[in-house]
Amino acid sequence: METILYLAHTESDGSLGKAALESLTAAKALAEQTGGTLVAGLVGEDVQAAANTIAGAGASKVLSVSGADFAQARYATDAAAAEALCKAAGATLVVAAGDSRWNRVLPGVGHRLGGRADLHITQVNGAGDISVTRWFYRQRMEGSFTRTQRPWLLGIDPGTQTPWQGDAGDTVVEAVTVETGDARTTVTGVKAPNTDEQTIRPDANVLFVAGAGWTKKQADGQTHVADAEKNILGFLQAAQASLGSSKSLVDLSSEGGEVLSFMTHLNQVGQTGATPRHPKGLSTCCHGEEPHVVGWRFINERRAVNLDANCGWAQGKADVLYVADAFEVMEKVNALLAE
Amino acid sequence: MNELPEGIERQGMDVDIVCVGFGPAAGGFLTTLSRAMMNDDGTPAIESRTMPGMPPQVMCYERADDVAFGVSGVVTRARGIRATFPDLNPGEIPLTAPVKDEKVIYLLDPHGASRRSGMLKLADKTLGLLKPVLGVKDHAYELPYIPPFLRKHDGLLLSIGQFNQWVGGQVMGSGLVQVWPGTPVTKPLVEKDTVVGVQLTDQGVDKTGAPGAGFMPGMEIRAPLTVVADGPIGPVGRQLDEHFGMPEGHHQRDWAVGMKMVVDLPEGCELEPGTVLHTLGYPEPEIFGFLYVYPGNVASMGIFVPSWFDNPVRTSYRYLQHWMLHPYLWKHLEGGTLRSWGAKSIQEAGRRGEPHLVGDGYARIGEGSGSTNVLTNSGVDEAWTTGTQLAEAVIELLKEGKDFSRENLEATYVKRRRESWVEEEGRIAEHARDGFQKGFIRGLIGTALAGMTRGKLNLACTAPRPHERIPSIEEYYKGRIPPGEIAAIRKECVRKGLSLHDALMERAGWPEIPLDGQLLMSHQDALLVGGKVQAMEGYADHVVFIYPHLCERCGTKTCVEICSAQAITMNPEGDVPLFDREKCVHCGACIWSCSEGREDDPEHGNIEFRAGAGGLHSAEN
Amino acid sequence: MSNGYHIVVCAGIVPDPLQTLEPVQTPQGWGLKNEMMLPAVLDPWASHALYEAANLAKNAPGSKVTLVSVAPKAKLQQVMMTLAQKVPFELVAADAPAGGFTDANDVAAVLAEAIQAIPDLDMANLLLFGGWESASRGAGATMQILGEMLGITEQFQGVDEITVTAEGKLQILERIEGGRHQVSECAGAPVVLGWATGNLPEPKNNPQVGMQNMRTVMPSLQKARPAALSGEDLNYAGIEVPKATRETRIEKNMSADEIAQEIVAWIKG
Repeated sequence: METILYLAHTESDGSLGKAALESLTAAKALAEQTGGTLVAGLVGEDVQAAANTIAGAGASKVLSVSGADFAQARYATDAAAAEALCKAAGATLVVAAGDSRWNRVLPGVGHRLGGRADLHITQVNGAGDISVTRWFYRQRMEGSFTRTQRPWLLGIDPGTQTPWQGDAGDTVVEAVTVETGDARTTVTGVKAPNTDEQTIRPDANVLFVAGAGWTKKQADGQTHVADAEKNILGFLQAAQASLGSSKSLVDLSSEGGEVLSFMTHLNQVGQTGATPRHPKGLSTCCHGEEPHVVGWRFINERRAVNLDANCGWAQGKADVLYVADAFEVMEKVNALLAE
Repeated sequence: MNELPEGIERQGMDVDIVCVGFGPAAGGFLTTLSRAMMNDDGTPAIESRTMPGMPPQVMCYERADDVAFGVSGVVTRARGIRATFPDLNPGEIPLTAPVKDEKVIYLLDPHGASRRSGMLKLADKTLGLLKPVLGVKDHAYELPYIPPFLRKHDGLLLSIGQFNQWVGGQVMGSGLVQVWPGTPVTKPLVEKDTVVGVQLTDQGVDKTGAPGAGFMPGMEIRAPLTVVADGPIGPVGRQLDEHFGMPEGHHQRDWAVGMKMVVDLPEGCELEPGTVLHTLGYPEPEIFGFLYVYPGNVASMGIFVPSWFDNPVRTSYRYLQHWMLHPYLWKHLEGGTLRSWGAKSIQEAGRRGEPHLVGDGYARIGEGSGSTNVLTNSGVDEAWTTGTQLAEAVIELLKEGKDFSRENLEATYVKRRRESWVEEEGRIAEHARDGFQKGFIRGLIGTALAGMTRGKLNLACTAPRPHERIPSIEEYYKGRIPPGEIAAIRKECVRKGLSLHDALMERAGWPEIPLDGQLLMSHQDALLVGGKVQAMEGYADHVVFIYPHLCERCGTKTCVEICSAQAITMNPEGDVPLFDREKCVHCGACIWSCSEGREDDPEHGNIEFRAGAGGLHSAEN
Repeated sequence: MSNGYHIVVCAGIVPDPLQTLEPVQTPQGWGLKNEMMLPAVLDPWASHALYEAANLAKNAPGSKVTLVSVAPKAKLQQVMMTLAQKVPFELVAADAPAGGFTDANDVAAVLAEAIQAIPDLDMANLLLFGGWESASRGAGATMQILGEMLGITEQFQGVDEITVTAEGKLQILERIEGGRHQVSECAGAPVVLGWATGNLPEPKNNPQVGMQNMRTVMPSLQKARPAALSGEDLNYAGIEVPKATRETRIEKNMSADEIAQEIVAWIKG
């Protein structure tokens, strides 16, 4: 019988993040489908509050590794904590959020335990042979597979599951001790853009994709980069949208071309960029093909504004394509949003 | 060339042999050469002159970003290739198949929109009347007989991209030759009429070539022998022609642009692997087409738009779409999907366009050396063979310790070439296409005459320079579209940035293309989806309009219409067209489609085609 | 750092991202249609790692860069011809499949063996670089497993920047949620860095660098030994390309005002 360890870390305020609650849904599903035992393992400075919030999740017990050392997201301590929790639980399956903190350590922990780890999991299926699904070749194909090796650690891609909801309550937490040794790394802080420069909003309703057309010559033979910036930033502010960009537009910024000043590699979608998940996506001045299009594979509703009615980026991939000048349209959109 | 900024030096390097361009000619050269460089015991069979004790240091520089990014629709008898690889197994090279079935098809015009002469109309009518007898079906007539000079029955279908990749892998696997893709060569280094090497292209420059951030001057690669294999439009070959002139009576005035697609045929398509179709007659009589079927339900197909097709607004892409939509072909293609797309210029003057093959310190091989045969429609195998001939000559000279002087290269390389089938067949083909200068039917007769009599009879004439024969748009559409209307259409197109060619064709009765986003897509989508065109930052524009005043007086702007990639566009603010380097596929059709002859060099038009980086990123063409 | 760093960059190859990819079942398991005929490039994130490594080595005297690659020899050779012109490195190659359906554990094992066999490997000054995931396999796991195999417990993923402080410590920026970076300070080598894109542009092709690299690249390629990937543990139930085609409503004749109104209604809806 499988023993499923639900592995989670607390946020800086002691709570469990959205991704953690999503992965709990997957862990519970696996436990139910396999008829296995669910154990929770929490890591953080102080995990009691978090343990209480998942009191109704049906874990047979809640283990924890806590203390000041575990407030920080760093490999040495997190890996030691996860390793200890897996051992203490006797886990055969481990389910954790595929966030930056767990993705950093799960594969290494899997190796330590003589098991295997897979990240970026989008679906788990516990019926029959336990199988999982994830994307290959930059979201261009989806594969499902099984493994024989145990323990099997799974990092669940954020945004792929419904966050678990259930009753809170008092929970007894069993502490697991971990020898951390000398951690040679200290997390000194987080570097975030100023609020008014914020262009990446993972929880935004809309992803705004800017294509290279914004910095190219327009109908009058001139570039209008200042107008482009005004239009794009105006929209991001008004709609609280997140900004994505094609690779070519991002590359320009590192090569000294005429560029959008706020665009960095972090904004890139597709190819070597991100494939964010948002309910809606609006693409503008893009012209591209498959490797770019993967950037909005996980956008549910898609619209595009482009001058080319046959644009491969939009046709067959967007729900609506407006054949129009994005400069003109976005200016008007911004005006309407400001009303 | 711009002067170097202070404190920056142009670096140099000495090697034994520098080769410009990696195509079939260089493939043949490097394969043959590398096999002879080492003894079985691991000691050099030939010694380097620049690095004594080592085998010769051989460098090959290719402009494209990969050795596999060439373009050609290859059906070949592969005589030269098989001589190099006697045990060649087509199954080893992707997109390769033996020829099984050949057909030549005359396509009638189902729309009545093409421009056909009275004689051709008569022929079409006759075919119509004899339809049941001749078996005319789907507006097409399959010729009952294929002249022997056209037959490739013992040959191979190849993808030049895959073939080059296969050859490149073996050549580099020998460890004796370095082939550097993504490295354009700007010019030959000529000192006192001796070629002493080449200069690579500057990087980190602006559009005009002026040094910018990260400037890196192109290296000088100095070598006792420079092998020029940069194809028909290669800047090194063309500059040598400029420096040394052409041999008496030789000129390169016959050109064509070949545009092709590689397509996944629809499921259940009846075309068998190894099928070869050659078409003529449609979409315009001057435009020939081909369709070759590979294993795996994949086909390579395309058209040739020649320099003697007198339409000044000749956009190959649109013609290619009409050609595919011809009922005879579309019945096989409908439901297919574009895999790859590409275009290239073909030097159709062949043997008559042969430059000086050798000089002190250099030798020319491949298509740029006039090896393409327009009678047999074959170029790859000929190019390959010239490469192997040069390699044999070079091995001989190296072993004998002789230098690469004109005399020595004449006595070894040129001698081999003159005694070979490439020369013999090239001579037969010399005047085969001349008839086309004066009309389609005359051209067919001339080709047949030359082919059947092995060149003894032909309809020889002196071809005018390409720019001399491009009529004005008004002349071309005389009697079909009034000049006033042409002016209005043109104005509208410039204003909206639309294709003039498309607008004029539709006005002349051609149907709109029913785009399906799969096989029939916009020109730009074909570029992105099929050609995967890319250009690295930091290079200068390689298409340059030399004298603005010539562009100002030019009314046709054929360069804009012929541009295979829509990289040359009308300038809304002036008469000198705009060039977008990022779209260019380096087909070079603009070179021979300029309608303005230069005052200082009437043989050539007003466009300079320099060394440039980037282009197609498809390995299947 | 008097000795400088030994920066070992792990980088596989992937099909040029512009190519059309189609999964097929082969006798050897899942692969891509015409896999060997697809032009290849160095794995993009690993390329960034290599450029960052070269840049760091340039600024830390005494450092050197070794590129370790597990890939089919013939394809690797072609990729090297382009790559070798960009930055100086020495190559260590293992001849093995590089497809996206290989198991990260197997690849890590081959890499570990190749790295441990580097004759002058300087563990104390080792910076182990790689991409934070591959553009083919996309597992995001190989570098961590490899780090464990080599006993390195200071690991960083999604790295965009590394700075050597005046005291010789490493300051590292890792991508975390929300377009932010976590800033860490590590006492020093050995460390594992799985790179995101970093901040450096792709270096230009420099034939001189190419020549210098070829002295070691060619012999390394020739020496590359076949390595087996066991793939025992991993069983694929299926690989599918998503049906991405949507019915696109194309609006050619709406005014900018109308479009703006529709977009705003849609966003708010």
